[in-house]
Amino acid sequence: MAHEEMGRISNRLRLGFALCSVVFLGVMAISPLRDQLREWKHYKRSYVTFAENRPETRRLLADFHPGLDQIWLPQWGVTDRCITCHQGIDQPSLADAATPQPFRAHSVIAHRATEWGCVVCHQGQGLATETAEAHKATLGWEKPLVPTSYIQGSCGVCHHPDIPETPRLNRGREVVTDLNCIGCHKLEARERPAMLGPDLTNIGNKTSPEWIFKWLRDPRTTTDANGNVTVNGYENEEEPRMPRFRLSDSELRALSVFVGTRKSKAIEAYRFDARVLASWENKPDVADQGETRFRQMFCSTCHPLAVVRGGETKIIGGDIGPELTKVGSKVTADWLRFWLRNPQAYLPQALMPRYGWSDEDLYKVSRYVMDRLTDADLLANVPKLAPLETDVDVGARLFQEKGCSSCHVTSGIKIQLDFGPDLSAEGAKTVSQLDFGSSKMPRTLIAFMEAKISNPLSVNSSARMPQYVFKPSDLEAVTTAVLGMKGAQSTPGIAALVIEAASPSYHPAGDFGKIYERYKCYVCHRFAGYGGALAPDLSYEGSRAQRRWIEDFLKNPQTLRPTLTFRMPQFNVTDQEAGILADYLGAVFQTPLLDLSAPPQGPWTADEVAAGKQLYEVRYQCQSCHTIGATGGYVGPNLVNAGNWLNAAWIRGWLENPQALVPGALEPRRAFTPEEIQALTAYLLSQKQRSRGGPQ
Amino acid sequence: MKWRVVLLIGAIAAFGPLEGCRRKPPASETKPAENAYGAEPDWNDPLQTIPLNYEQTQGQRIFYADCVWCHASSTPAGPSNMSNLKPVPPLGNDGAALNGLSDEFLQNLITLGGGAMSKSAMMPPWGMTLKPEDIRAVIAFQRAISQPPYHPSARPRSQYSEK
Repeated sequence: MAHEEMGRISNRLRLGFALCSVVFLGVMAISPLRDQLREWKHYKRSYVTFAENRPETRRLLADFHPGLDQIWLPQWGVTDRCITCHQGIDQPSLADAATPQPFRAHSVIAHRATEWGCVVCHQGQGLATETAEAHKATLGWEKPLVPTSYIQGSCGVCHHPDIPETPRLNRGREVVTDLNCIGCHKLEARERPAMLGPDLTNIGNKTSPEWIFKWLRDPRTTTDANGNVTVNGYENEEEPRMPRFRLSDSELRALSVFVGTRKSKAIEAYRFDARVLASWENKPDVADQGETRFRQMFCSTCHPLAVVRGGETKIIGGDIGPELTKVGSKVTADWLRFWLRNPQAYLPQALMPRYGWSDEDLYKVSRYVMDRLTDADLLANVPKLAPLETDVDVGARLFQEKGCSSCHVTSGIKIQLDFGPDLSAEGAKTVSQLDFGSSKMPRTLIAFMEAKISNPLSVNSSARMPQYVFKPSDLEAVTTAVLGMKGAQSTPGIAALVIEAASPSYHPAGDFGKIYERYKCYVCHRFAGYGGALAPDLSYEGSRAQRRWIEDFLKNPQTLRPTLTFRMPQFNVTDQEAGILADYLGAVFQTPLLDLSAPPQGPWTADEVAAGKQLYEVRYQCQSCHTIGATGGYVGPNLVNAGNWLNAAWIRGWLENPQALVPGALEPRRAFTPEEIQALTAYLLSQKQRSRGGPQ
Repeated sequence: MKWRVVLLIGAIAAFGPLEGCRRKPPASETKPAENAYGAEPDWNDPLQTIPLNYEQTQGQRIFYADCVWCHASSTPAGPSNMSNLKPVPPLGNDGAALNGLSDEFLQNLITLGGGAMSKSAMMPPWGMTLKPEDIRAVIAFQRAISQPPYHPSARPRSQYSEK
């Protein structure tokens, strides 16, 4: 190569270098330019513009700085940059729905975002500074933001006891408990109860294989595709507890024969007093009288029943016991009498109280149930089932294969635990851990759960889970509850936040304990934090009511709240039992806030009573909720017999602050003066329905 | 030939990062029902559901615990107490009666009771039982379920509006 040539090449090279330099300069300029155009900077700039157009600019921009903002909580492993864009998260004036996102303030909840971070509840990627990365599932991040309608699941991660702020989560947990999901699935923070479905050890002496066939094929309670629930063909609200299993006719036959032949102990026919039988057996109105007694005893407080009201048939009654409209076509008369006399002798875990029956009442009520609560066509389409040995064997196998033995006990078959998948950490699963099969649904955890719950076959065509039918709101609630089950927490700091549910229990021993268990008081009433919520909390009953009133009430319960359809059943409590109960309630169930031995002293003057009447009727218009005489509302209890019912100290304490005596009491607290309290107490104590000795 | 290669490499080096500057498409909006914390059926048309935010959902809970007895046509315990009261209290969703009242008036009415606000003394004061934010939540719930619907602009501006 000649010298000149070399010079020419070097010129070319120089040109190349020059071009490269220009390009590299350009590239170097891109970097700051690109940084300037980053998404979060765009939001920061628009927040400044937004704030400058608001009247409270100074407050909105008080903490503003142009860089990245983050919440750093090392103990929980939280590094959330969400507040970089969500600048107004803590600004009360930006709470309005008209404020554009991402600047809107967070609702005022118990946990401030700046103290708790965002992803602890909302999920998403806290470190991300781009909208899509922060909110959505991306290649590198599998936990997208939880939609607001399911966010209560996040509350459930730490709050194992129900809290009032999360109605959807509470409803979901209620459904999960009611439907016995724990029969097959392991669930977080939940213990398996002693009994799920009824014990079938002796079911053959209670009902026939044909009835079981009918029950398995079309359960009493059914739900159609639109979510309308019917019980025996009548509309109802309740979800069926026994789901529908996908059974062929031969499977139905084998299972019904197997279950229907379970007879562990013969049921002896009850021998009625000969005189009772002689006087009632052939009376034409025995069933009518039985119905009257059935109503008087308030069986419907626990058992729903179809009744005709105003030409319309409706299911009415409580949901503690089973629905009884057609029970006469199900059970045998001997079983019914055996059961009514002592439910726990047939089923030790039964919630039904052991009533004190007279032969006459037992005969009348059982005749009513067997004669009137029937349906001649109930078993019309059911084949006659001969107890074939082969069917029994196949049925025993199916009983385990179909999962019946997860909820029901029967002779010779062990209870099957964990028949279904473990759900105790289901809410923590990522999309890659889910088996969607060939289904066509959005690849998200929520869509997967909802499909599994509403139609198990839609995800896995060989699923063993039976078919439940949920209202859309309940499907959402159950999904929310399961989303809250996340198993072990991500960091020890968060694990330390978990509030465990208390499991109170109150089963005293002694004479009171025996009566308490016999009448199952705790199924409806609450004692020292334990028991049902259907009836008043009796934890402080001894402070509230006079002993004599308690005794009379137990012997002949009358409703104090006329609005309530649920009333205390007539248990036929003996005098001795009523005395023991009243003594125990008076001695044990006292509030420390009141001293009954130092009540405000009477006698009350006529002036005080008159002043109290004036306050009651005119100044405070208590009659809007309470009834005295013929007029008044029925939100609060009827006060017509307050003088025989309530203790003076209780009335005073209650007027001062109802919620201090009964947390959550409905009556609003008011600012009465001591004189007013004195007058109102005098007036209420003067209200006596029947004379029972002198005033207290 | 070589300088073309150099230019090409330069161009790629330049446009590669620039690609990142392109404005991202906005995050797709979620369904409105998914943005709701709670829900309440429309009282006049039970097939319609009204989405509720957090505050309105808390108001719903308090309404169904304390207010439902007199301000709804049926209650959790059965019949309503409305028929026992004179004047008959408005239903919780009665927009015709309540849309004209300001939030501040309702807040005072619930806190101090009907008697203090020249309304029926049958409406008791709740200020010593409920917290101010509870009462605000009840009003927010009432506004959400109101029929005819409540529009904030329809009421006169409050003297307490932000300065």
